[in-house]
Amino acid sequence: MTQEFKELDVRPILKNGGEPFEAIMTAVGTLQPGQGLRLLAPFKPQPLYRVMDARGFDHAVFELDGGDFEVRFTPRRQEAIALSENAVSPELWAEPSVQLDLSDLDPPEPMQRILGAAEALDAGEVIFAVLAREPVFLFPELTRRGHQWVGNFDRDGSAYRIMIRIGKGIADA
Amino acid sequence: MPGATLSPWTMSYFATALVCLVAGLALTISGFGYPSAPIDDPASLVIVHLIAIGWLGLLFAGSLLQFVPVIASRQLQSPHLALPALLLTMIGLLLLLGGFLGLADIVPLWTWALPAGGLLLTAAFASLCWMVAGTLAAARPYSLPAKFVALGCVPLIVTALVGLLFALFLSGLTDDPRLVGLLLSVGPAHAYLGLFGWMTITAIGVSYRLLTMFLLSPERTRGTSRAIGWLSAAALVAAGCGIFSDGAGLPADWPLHLAIALSGLAALFYAIDIHSIFRERKRKSVELNVVASLVAIGMLVLCFVLFAASIVIGNLPEMVMPVAYLFTFGWLTGLGLGQLYKIVAFMTWLEFYGPVLGRTAVPRVQDLVNERRASLWFGLYFTATATATALLILDMPDMFRAATFAQLTAVCALAFEFIQARRLVMVPAATRLPSAVAARRLILPSFNGRSR
Repeated sequence: MTQEFKELDVRPILKNGGEPFEAIMTAVGTLQPGQGLRLLAPFKPQPLYRVMDARGFDHAVFELDGGDFEVRFTPRRQEAIALSENAVSPELWAEPSVQLDLSDLDPPEPMQRILGAAEALDAGEVIFAVLAREPVFLFPELTRRGHQWVGNFDRDGSAYRIMIRIGKGIADA
Repeated sequence: MPGATLSPWTMSYFATALVCLVAGLALTISGFGYPSAPIDDPASLVIVHLIAIGWLGLLFAGSLLQFVPVIASRQLQSPHLALPALLLTMIGLLLLLGGFLGLADIVPLWTWALPAGGLLLTAAFASLCWMVAGTLAAARPYSLPAKFVALGCVPLIVTALVGLLFALFLSGLTDDPRLVGLLLSVGPAHAYLGLFGWMTITAIGVSYRLLTMFLLSPERTRGTSRAIGWLSAAALVAAGCGIFSDGAGLPADWPLHLAIALSGLAALFYAIDIHSIFRERKRKSVELNVVASLVAIGMLVLCFVLFAASIVIGNLPEMVMPVAYLFTFGWLTGLGLGQLYKIVAFMTWLEFYGPVLGRTAVPRVQDLVNERRASLWFGLYFTATATATALLILDMPDMFRAATFAQLTAVCALAFEFIQARRLVMVPAATRLPSAVAARRLILPSFNGRSR
């Protein structure tokens, strides 16, 4: 995946005796998810590295002809999202009609509950479930039954969230 | 594809492993090999390798094929190597044992048996590492269990290669003086790298995932867990340095002693970690497999306590074998049997009831086993193992064989329990599948593609 950058040249601001920090933060605030920032400056903006690091950006510095610098701030990857290979446009799925909190159940009971709930729903309906673990044995079973799913861990990794869109029901082997 | 499916050959690995364990214990009871003969006698080496490769090696390999995809949440790399690796291990082990029996003058000696066996075993373990490391390498970011399991692959390969050199030397195919010098002193490091380097580091890694899962305890990377990783890595480096200095003709005991000291510290931190995992658990009732694992971990710590005590007292040479025995049978075998008890039931449940989950009433995983009966066998096993270790320390070989008989009884009873679980015999009648369905797939995968 190629990284997209928004470009900000603070050299004119500095030339006019201005303070570029605010302009930089405004630019950062308008970045799209996953978008990076390409900053052009007459010096290496050392203090900015820590600020951007705290906001989840790594940086790389390139010296330009003429002694100026180009700094590329790249967003670190967010929590990785896993999805079934049959999943199509999860952002367009319906609102979940069933919400399950299974975080206190021993494995494999969460798997059993989710598959049970899935049997009661019609094609196109969506289940949202929270589990304490990544349900690794559930994933292939969902796909085998023709359901689509997306899931990921929450930020501190203490819970796994999964959305399941019920499929038309593929005949069992 | 994310997620994990059943590893089709794991049950075959487990069945073969149990056969080797039973055979090794039965040979010991018959008076064959250690303790009637020194540990480096060919007869003893038959039993040692039957247990180390046949039982523990196949048990760990079979478990890794199932749990590495769970740890990595992706399908196993090159799963078609699982069956060849099993067959290579079986044939390689038979050749190796045949070679040792030849050296012991029990069967005619075929010069090529040992090196051929060593080669096949090295190929088998290399295939295993290829599947394990390849699966883990693709699953970034690396989790704590993944790092431990990957670290364990390094000593596995070194153990196999050193074993191969042994095979060349013992079969008389080489008389290179440097190699002879290496092999005269490298035996303990070979055992250490296999039992601690591969198996213990791997078991620690996998247990971080499995125990937190069984206990509903938060899985987080503790400072102690990181320390265990670094201590283990340092111990492996120390053991590696020892092998190099042996090879350079400067044999020294201290690198291996340093490695064992670092491992002991790691074991202590591990016990602390397990204590935290246990304390933070959300699930209050503790199942038999966890209890058995805790006893095994206690025996792991006891091994290093005994080792340290024997250094202080100054009777280390007499204590090395009893400690190695406790390590093999108390820690690794105890843990292995405890986890098998759960894994066999879980895999069987998933295999037979996974496809109908949510559509019909199914039993709980616990309904596949008889915990009360099995707990008696585990009690017998651990008591017999502790007793056997004490009898080795007291140098009472006849009583030791009686304790081994009790161990064998417990192992056979547990193997019977595993078979009952596989056959779904204990499942309540309302949810039982026709017994013929289960019986057909006792130790071989189903060939209709469902379990893949």
